[in-house]
Amino acid sequence: MARIEIKNLTKKFGSLTALDDVNLSLEAGKIVGLLGPNGSGKTTLIKLLNGLLQPTSGTLEINGNKPGVKTKKTVAYLPDRDALPDYMTAPQLMKMYADFFLDFDRARAETMINDLGIDEKQPMKKMSKGTKEKLQLCLVMARRADVYLLDEPIGGVDPATRDYILRTIISNYNEDAVVIISTHLIADVESVLDDVVFIKNGRIVMHEGAEDIRQEKGESVDKLFREVFKC
Amino acid sequence: MLGKLIKYELPAMGRKLLPLYAAWAIAALLLGLTAEFSDSPSDFMLAISVILYTAIATAVTVISIVMIVQRYSSSLLGNEGYFYHILPVGTASHIGTKLISATVWVVITMFVAFLTGLLVVLGIVIAQGIGFDEVMRGFKLMLEINYPEHMWLYLGEGIILMIASIIKTIMQIYAALTIGYQASNHTTLASIAAFILLLVFESVVGRNIMPSMVSVVFSANGVIDFDNIFVPSILISIAFSALYFLICKVLLDKRLNLG
Repeated sequence: MARIEIKNLTKKFGSLTALDDVNLSLEAGKIVGLLGPNGSGKTTLIKLLNGLLQPTSGTLEINGNKPGVKTKKTVAYLPDRDALPDYMTAPQLMKMYADFFLDFDRARAETMINDLGIDEKQPMKKMSKGTKEKLQLCLVMARRADVYLLDEPIGGVDPATRDYILRTIISNYNEDAVVIISTHLIADVESVLDDVVFIKNGRIVMHEGAEDIRQEKGESVDKLFREVFKC
Repeated sequence: MLGKLIKYELPAMGRKLLPLYAAWAIAALLLGLTAEFSDSPSDFMLAISVILYTAIATAVTVISIVMIVQRYSSSLLGNEGYFYHILPVGTASHIGTKLISATVWVVITMFVAFLTGLLVVLGIVIAQGIGFDEVMRGFKLMLEINYPEHMWLYLGEGIILMIASIIKTIMQIYAALTIGYQASNHTTLASIAAFILLLVFESVVGRNIMPSMVSVVFSANGVIDFDNIFVPSILISIAFSALYFLICKVLLDKRLNLG
């Protein structure tokens, strides 16, 4: 059974069609790049998988279940914005994560927080934007989830942290999990991707293995992206 | 999970209110002391104490209302929703948590208001040099008054009605926010409009069902039988609260579209 199964999924916002008849099946043990330009529907798809948006039509299933309380136990989500309560500190947030997510590994989170030099005494509201993003990522990646949905995980951080985050994603995810990384910074993530999904104007235009692209088409994912999404 | 959510929600509101409660208590004591030491009502210190007490009381009231709105809208309809809605918790628990926390803090605020009244009296007692024995004698006298029959029952019913009304009002605010959130833009204006519509709806429904449920009846000794007023009013408040809860739950379950 596929970890994620999406069938005939359409999402409209008024007259705007954000996702148009999307079909996608993703297996465990893969790091998948959800790649597309701004406004292509990447975030909408991830929000639908988290139950933060309701589909106009079609179905989504994670481990055979529709997004809901059951799937939220096994899905780790990094949103594209600051979502954590701003009055809380890192230890308070770790405690909260441990209270709600049985798969949360506090020791792992503490290691990442120390590695990234995050001040544990500071509340979120006093942290810089980059530090908030790092802390959110530490909490998400410290879970031993079945599905990781990472929306622009490297968008707002410096190159050194970018490398650390990508190393963390590779080293922390397990063979039974699927990791979806939504980004338009292809060159930075290309090395870690197993599969590539190109999304354009709300439609999936390509779903292939990253290695297949390099071997069969003889070009990098980044180069192919530039060709497909040429303005 | 409800208990875990409440564990984090209660301090979220309290962190802003607790310092204000302390300031309110100090202002009340100061008011009591200056009221007694003052020679005339226009005394400068007394005027300052009255202004301070009133300002803090107003601030506590305003912040309580703002916190009720803000905790619900930011946690379930705003950016923090991206965190709270991914917790493995049903929407009923989320709404219930906000409701319980807001109710607890409103009740605490009312209790603190009562305590500040006592502190004003305490300030006067200290200023007048009245002894502890005299104060206790006063309390004893209050307990020895021959209260009307069923007074404690009516008092209990009155407190339950007050809490039921608080819950109903909080749920009304939540329902208005959730309905207003359905608008594609100007959600604040839409929420205010929804709140007004709910007020009109309540008044129309209330006008139709209240006369058939609530009646002023006098008991044999000529005292009003409050059972006929309090109990139906409590039931009506519960019914409205349940309706508003259902509106919030259905909209959050079926129409949640975090922007």
